Order: sequence, then structure tokens, then C-alpha cells
Amino acid sequence: MSVLLIVLGVVVLIAILMYNSLIGKKNQVDNIFAGVDAVLKKRFDLIPNLVASVSQYMEHEKSTLEKVTELRAQAMKPGISEDQKIALDAKLSAALGSITVAMEAYPDLKANENVMHLMRSLNEIEEQISAARRAYNQAVTDLNNAIEMFPTNLIAGWMNLQRRAVFEITATERQNVDVNALFNR
Amino acid sequence: MKSTSELTGFYYKELYPSLNELEETRKRIVSQLKWYGGMGLVVFSITALWMGKNFGLLHPLMIAVVIGFIVIASITYRFMTSGYAKDFKARVITPLIGAIDPHLLYNPDFMISQYLFERSNLFQHSIDRYSGNDYVKGSIDGVPLEFSDVHAEYQTRDSKGRTQWHTLFRGLFLVSEFNKNFKSKTVILPDQAEKNFGSLIGGWLQSINFSRDDLIRLDDPEFEKYFVVYGSDQIETHYILSHSMMKRILDFQRRVSHPLFISFVHNHIHIGIGTGKDLFEPAVFTSLLDYKQAMEYVNTLQNTIGLIEELKLNEKLWSKE
Repeated sequence: MSVLLIVLGVVVLIAILMYNSLIGKKNQVDNIFAGVDAVLKKRFDLIPNLVASVSQYMEHEKSTLEKVTELRAQAMKPGISEDQKIALDAKLSAALGSITVAMEAYPDLKANENVMHLMRSLNEIEEQISAARRAYNQAVTDLNNAIEMFPTNLIAGWMNLQRRAVFEITATERQNVDVNALFNR
Repeated sequence: MKSTSELTGFYYKELYPSLNELEETRKRIVSQLKWYGGMGLVVFSITALWMGKNFGLLHPLMIAVVIGFIVIASITYRFMTSGYAKDFKARVITPLIGAIDPHLLYNPDFMISQYLFERSNLFQHSIDRYSGNDYVKGSIDGVPLEFSDVHAEYQTRDSKGRTQWHTLFRGLFLVSEFNKNFKSKTVILPDQAEKNFGSLIGGWLQSINFSRDDLIRLDDPEFEKYFVVYGSDQIETHYILSHSMMKRILDFQRRVSHPLFISFVHNHIHIGIGTGKDLFEPAVFTSLLDYKQAMEYVNTLQNTIGLIEELKLNEKLWSKE
């Protein structure tokens, strides 16, 4: 009888530990997503400034600039889900990347102190965003592993925890830079 | 900054007169040491024989005599070589550092402050004895840095009340400004647990280290194999340890083969290289003109100061002024 009680006690203890570690992992993901959100917001704040200061120079990139502004407006809307935010972020990164490349064609722009300062800030924020994405992906991987691996998957199923999406590297980021195309503009 | 071959050239060309004079002193010291050593050995043998006859070889007094001789011998050695070591530092190491970069200052008797050593958060044990020498301070490519030999120790008492000294860290310690702004603390330590117990149990052991901040897993498996990282902010740690930074640290670790301790605190990078010995001390029994010996001095200096370039701390890509 007492043996049975001890075994039961150990099982309950293990279950509690697993439950707590899952909660810990879930909160870690939410916590880091808040951090990701904070740096993304930093970038959103910078965009109107950037667009305003480069638009007078970059006549041919009007459509890209408009797209950036529009994406920003979409991402700033309240009540969009994490997954939507992740998707919008990917689009915005790609659009900003193409602006950076296009800037090479405008020597006036590169001589502008204000624009260069903005680009440096943007550069730094991009690096912070990339770090935040990596931290988020790591936390999500930890959580997803726990959700799928035995025996934590049993408890996760009972807790109704769902797998989360990771930030994916966009196709344009993955492509190697085509130097030829840059020169032939 | 000059290349290794340029510096080796400088060592043999510009320093040649000094080296020759020092080499004469060294030879004189070696012959004196040999003479004293022989005398000591004779005196010791006679004492031992006499004691062995009267008290027996395993008498406690015998042990006292042995210890006494060792103490006298080491004091004599210190006394005879200290002047030479001082001369060597003034006439060889000082100009060598000046040749690497004229903005560097060198003080053979000074060291990195204990405050900076403790600020690094790398070693959590309280320090009871702190010493060091060969302090270098200055800037390379506009990046301020300082480094020196450091020996940090703590003491314990055993059940009989005897004090014992333990080395916490011995080797080269470097502090430099980091090129990105950050507010959190990140500590990188050699990975003992994962090496000994494998990734599953080792990883679990690391995660329950209560005296440290959170364990941070990074997305470079090779880096994870060598190091364990603790930090107070997941995102900032990833921001500091970009993929390229992890690769540079890994390359450096593969080259030095001593345990590496790195921390990022207060916008500074702190690097401890656990060589376990005092650097820049002249070898008494090897010739100063010996190529290998010369290369060791040049390489140690070159590698340490070259760290700024190797870790690309001089890249001012960011908005940090």
C-alpha cells in the first residue's frame, strides 16, 4: 500500500514539474515576443522619417516607398495576431532592403548627413530585430520540442498548448546578392 | 598595426644591442646559478649524510632540512634573476610594445584594477589575494583597451585550521570598449558540463545553475559545444553574439588552446585567457636570441592586441558615438 502511495507521489511530482516547465517555456515565448514587438515598433517609428527624407530624391522608387508606408500602417493596426505580424515583418524587411540597395544609385542621397544617420539607425535596428527574431525562434523551438516530445506531449495535449510559428528568412534574404543585376540598373 | 614578421625583424634588428648585453647578463647569471646550485648540493649532501647517521633518514628534522633548502634555493633564484627580469622588461618588452603601436603605454609593475576584474562577473568566488603585472593601456584604431597579467586567489581553511590558497584565475585579462550599446550582462564560460556529461544531462545541469543568470541557448551548435552562455536579457545576448561574432570567438578559441572567459558588461568586453602562467617573464635558461623564445613574446603581444581587429571591435557600424 505504502509503495503504491510513493509511486503515485513521484508520478504526481513529475507531472507538476513538467506542467511548470511547459508554462515556463510558453511564458518565455510570450515574453520574447514582447521584446520583438518593441524593436519592430522602433523600426515603425523610424519609417515615416526615412520615407519623408528620401522621397524627394528617389523619384523612381515611389511605389516601393508607398508600399513601405502601407505595410507600416497595416502592422500598426491594433488587434492583429502574432502570425500576421510575423508575415508583415517579413514583407517590410524585404521592401526596406530593396530601398537600401536602390539608394546606391543616388549619390546625392549618400551625401545627405540626415539620411546617412537614419540609415545607420535603421541598420542598428535591423541588427536588433534579427537578434530578437533569433531569440524568439530559439524559445519557440524549445516550446515546440516540449509540445511534441514524450512525455511532455501528454501534458501539453491536456493543457491544449499549440505549436507556434517561427520567423522564417524571406526568400529575398536567402538569395545571394546578384552583383551583375546591381550594375545593370 | 605591424605584422608578426615586421615585429620579429624589429626584435632582432633594433633590439640587437640590448639583447646582446642582456644575453651576457643572462649567461653570467646562469653560470652563477650553476655554481651556487653545485655548492648547495654539496652542503645538502653533507648535512643529509650527517643527519642520516645521527637521526635516521626519515626523521622529522630531515623533512625540515629539505624544505629549508628548497626555500633558500628559491629565494636565491628570485634574488639573482629579479634585476635581470626588470632590465629585460625595460629594454625589450617596452620598445616592442611601442613598436606595435605608439599609443600604448606599458607599466611592468601595475595591473588591471580588481574592480574591473570583478565587474566582469566571470568569477563569482570572493577574491582574497589579487596580484598581477605587465599592464598595457591605450587605444588601437580608436578603440580603448587595457590588459595585464592577473592572478586571483581565494583561501580556504581545512578541518585542522590550516589555510590553503586556490587559484581562481591566472593568465591574461583584457578589457575593451564594445562597439554596440547594451544594458544587460552576458557571460560566456568554457563548457565543462556538456563536455563531460553530454548535451542532455549537461544542458540540464547548466540550466539549474542558480548563481548565474538564465542559461541562453544560441543558434550555433559548434559554439554551444565549446561554451556555455548566461545572460540577463535573451534578446540583447543574441544582439551581442551575432553569428559572425560567435564564429570569431570560436576561431580565436581554436587558436589559443587555453580556457577562454568572455563577458559583456557595462558596454565593455572582458576577456580572460587562462594561460596558467605569468607572461612576458624572461626565460633564464633559454637564450634571448633563440627564435622560438622571441616568437613567443612577439606572438603573445600581437595576439592580444590583435584581438581588437580579430573581433572587429573597431567597426563603427552602429549609431554608437
